[in-house]
Amino acid sequence: MTLTLERPRADQAHAVTPAPQPRARPEKIAAGLTLVALVTASVLSLISVDISLPQIAASWSNATRFFDRVGVISFPAPGELLYLTALTVGLVLLGTLFAAFFSVPLAWLAATNTAPSRGWMAFARFLGVLIRAVPDVVLAMVFVLMFSLGTLPGILAIGIHSIGMISKMFADAIEQIDEGPRLAIRAAGGTPVQEFFSGVLPQVLPSWVATVLHRNDINLRGSVILGYVGVAGLGLEMSYAFKSLNYSLGLGIALVIFALCVVMEIVSSAVRTVMLGLAPTRQGIGDRLLRRLGVTGLKADASHRPWTYARLRNAVWGLLFVLIVIGSVWICEIKWGDFLTVWSYLPETAAKFWPPSFGSYDASVMLAAMGETIAIALAATILTIVASIVIGSLAARNVAPSKRVRAGFRLVLVTIRGIPEIILAIVLIVVTGLGTQAGTIALAIGGIGLLGKLLADSLEEVRSGPEQALAAVGATRLQVYAGATAPQGMKALIGHSFYMLDTNIRAATILGLVGGGGVGYYLLNAGQGSRYDLVTTIVLMILVTVVAVEGLAMWMRRVFR
Amino acid sequence: MAGSVPAAEPVIDVRGITKNFGETTALKHVSLTVARGEIVVLLGLSGSGKSTLLRHLDGLDRPDSGTVTVLGTAVSSLRGRPLRALRGQVGFVFQQFELVGSLTVLENVLTGALFRVRGPRLGLWGYRRDLKQAARGHLDRVGLLAQAYQRADTLSGGQQQRVGIARALMQNPRILLADEPVASLDPESSAQVMALIREIAIDSGLTVVCSLHQVDLALSWGDRIVGLRHGEVVLDTATQGLSKQNVMEIYGRVTTSTGELDAIETELGTVEPGEPDEQGELDLATFSSARDNRR
Repeated sequence: MTLTLERPRADQAHAVTPAPQPRARPEKIAAGLTLVALVTASVLSLISVDISLPQIAASWSNATRFFDRVGVISFPAPGELLYLTALTVGLVLLGTLFAAFFSVPLAWLAATNTAPSRGWMAFARFLGVLIRAVPDVVLAMVFVLMFSLGTLPGILAIGIHSIGMISKMFADAIEQIDEGPRLAIRAAGGTPVQEFFSGVLPQVLPSWVATVLHRNDINLRGSVILGYVGVAGLGLEMSYAFKSLNYSLGLGIALVIFALCVVMEIVSSAVRTVMLGLAPTRQGIGDRLLRRLGVTGLKADASHRPWTYARLRNAVWGLLFVLIVIGSVWICEIKWGDFLTVWSYLPETAAKFWPPSFGSYDASVMLAAMGETIAIALAATILTIVASIVIGSLAARNVAPSKRVRAGFRLVLVTIRGIPEIILAIVLIVVTGLGTQAGTIALAIGGIGLLGKLLADSLEEVRSGPEQALAAVGATRLQVYAGATAPQGMKALIGHSFYMLDTNIRAATILGLVGGGGVGYYLLNAGQGSRYDLVTTIVLMILVTVVAVEGLAMWMRRVFR
Repeated sequence: MAGSVPAAEPVIDVRGITKNFGETTALKHVSLTVARGEIVVLLGLSGSGKSTLLRHLDGLDRPDSGTVTVLGTAVSSLRGRPLRALRGQVGFVFQQFELVGSLTVLENVLTGALFRVRGPRLGLWGYRRDLKQAARGHLDRVGLLAQAYQRADTLSGGQQQRVGIARALMQNPRILLADEPVASLDPESSAQVMALIREIAIDSGLTVVCSLHQVDLALSWGDRIVGLRHGEVVLDTATQGLSKQNVMEIYGRVTTSTGELDAIETELGTVEPGEPDEQGELDLATFSSARDNRR
């Protein structure tokens, strides 16, 4: 035992003072009122979008008629299908890696603990929000004009758009590191760059890899829509099929994309497990195999790094990754020359987009279309929230009545997450013949997969003390949920819901491109009709809306923290 | 670059530094000179300014007033490359070890050589063969060569601190600073780590400044004790030939109040808690025997 001089002081005598009355801050009242206004607006949107049971029943008869007409689902020839699949995957992967590469410096500038100054931090964060606000479809439309047709516009559109989200998540990861190792390297005379590579990077790498994999999944789903503006791959073939009224082929490609998304989700979750796995135990099958083969784990002289199973596994994964990237570059047939010639087109292209104008439309028509997009997003969000509260709660360990129920609802959530919402929208629109309603329902269903999961995770993370306390006084399961679990998860629900709204606003603009109503329809028309000044106007409207919602969400999260 | 320092000249010379963090004053007109090869303990409670003083010696903090001269260079005015060159000559051992848990032990040790290479390093292959050889030598010195390729976070606290020491040795330092190196360790590992630091210091003729909050450990381990209280130097004495009266004085000076002394008595079990007692009337014989028992 070591004698220690640090000892807590004895408490002073308790002075009994009356408890101060809690006062709601004016900011909190304002935020509460905004929340009520948003919920009201969402309900009104739901009514205006006209989602009702008779509507859905009517569309069901449409669907049966549709399937009678289409008959069997058909697929492209196997060779072509394989090529298109590889092309789509390669294009998406290269786009995501492009984004990951350029996100590193931006994240470094945007993270509070690494930003060189407050000015740089504000700049980097603003740039991230701005980049995120421009949908990748819009970028693709622009790049298709500037580059030769092929994969490059798609790679760049995905790459640039993804920087917004990836750099934000990278910066969040940097902010969560343990500062100690960084300080140790500074104390040993390391430069700031060395601090980053030896002190920060090893700590954030697992989280960064998870982010990139997650974004790659999102991009794969989103790549479908890029086909509608001329980016090569499965999406383009699908859009051709639907445009030529070859519904059986279109649905076949949609099915392939759906399967691809599910496979990708499984692969990336496997990679995540390997990357984020526990420290090697040296007791695994691989280690035993290596020992049997005479490869000893730790050499006595320690002059060479031993080929442990973990090292071998990492080396194999690394090699595989490099091969996949090389394969992606090869199959995408990137026209590198475009990077040289593009600069001569740049002024000409830029001139087409400026100045913005409403074209042949009235300003009120455009504003109404934007309003419709916002209504779709709000209506979808409120539907998602209601459904997610039920499904998400039942998927939480501490709420579900049994393990089997939890597992069942978790499976429902995973399945829904596997469905690309844009595919769902396209299929619903084609099958039911409805526009806005089908789009809203597609967004709402797609949202459940995400919000339900986030909510279930948040509920599982609440402190269990209050729950046990209520259970101890004899409360029923429902009373425990209402009295202890739900109140603790409320803040998380508000935060996640705003994230959902944020995502849905973006998604709703894209819906219009496939016939889901709103401003996206005009965007596609303007693009195809070469009315680029109108494209600029619509993009600016989307930008303002997205940034406004983002600002609102940030404010709400801060107030309700 | 710091030139060679003549033996007579102090390697560390702090003159009247004051440091404020907002409203609180961390250091108040602190002066300290340390000669080459001295093993000095900074003794004080948490919040007495020990860590802040150590950080000043490595240029991690800058004083509001006063000067810090280390190895003949004025630290407080250095920036950029010259500052890093100085830091390269000063090893720093942290209370929380501050290793990168996901990297191997060897990579962590090698980060101590970063000031000698240009540019960033990723993984082991970035380092020259001779640096890797040196790192293995230092790991051998602290008795952890067998763990060289394990992840740092699989080691125990005491082992991690030994890796921290190896990392500091990798700098080939002339001065070793240690901020509460054993405060997060169990007694057995503490004894090991403290013995290791002293052994290495004497072997390589290092100048050591180590902060501690345990009086008995400071007395048995250091050559000289500098006591800090509320950011002021309240004591500066050699540990050899101290009388028991001196020891009690040390307790009195570095602790804040009589309450702390009472706490020591209670912990030693010499006085029944609650029994009225005057400050300084502690039974020294019992204290000494209790101290010996702990060894």
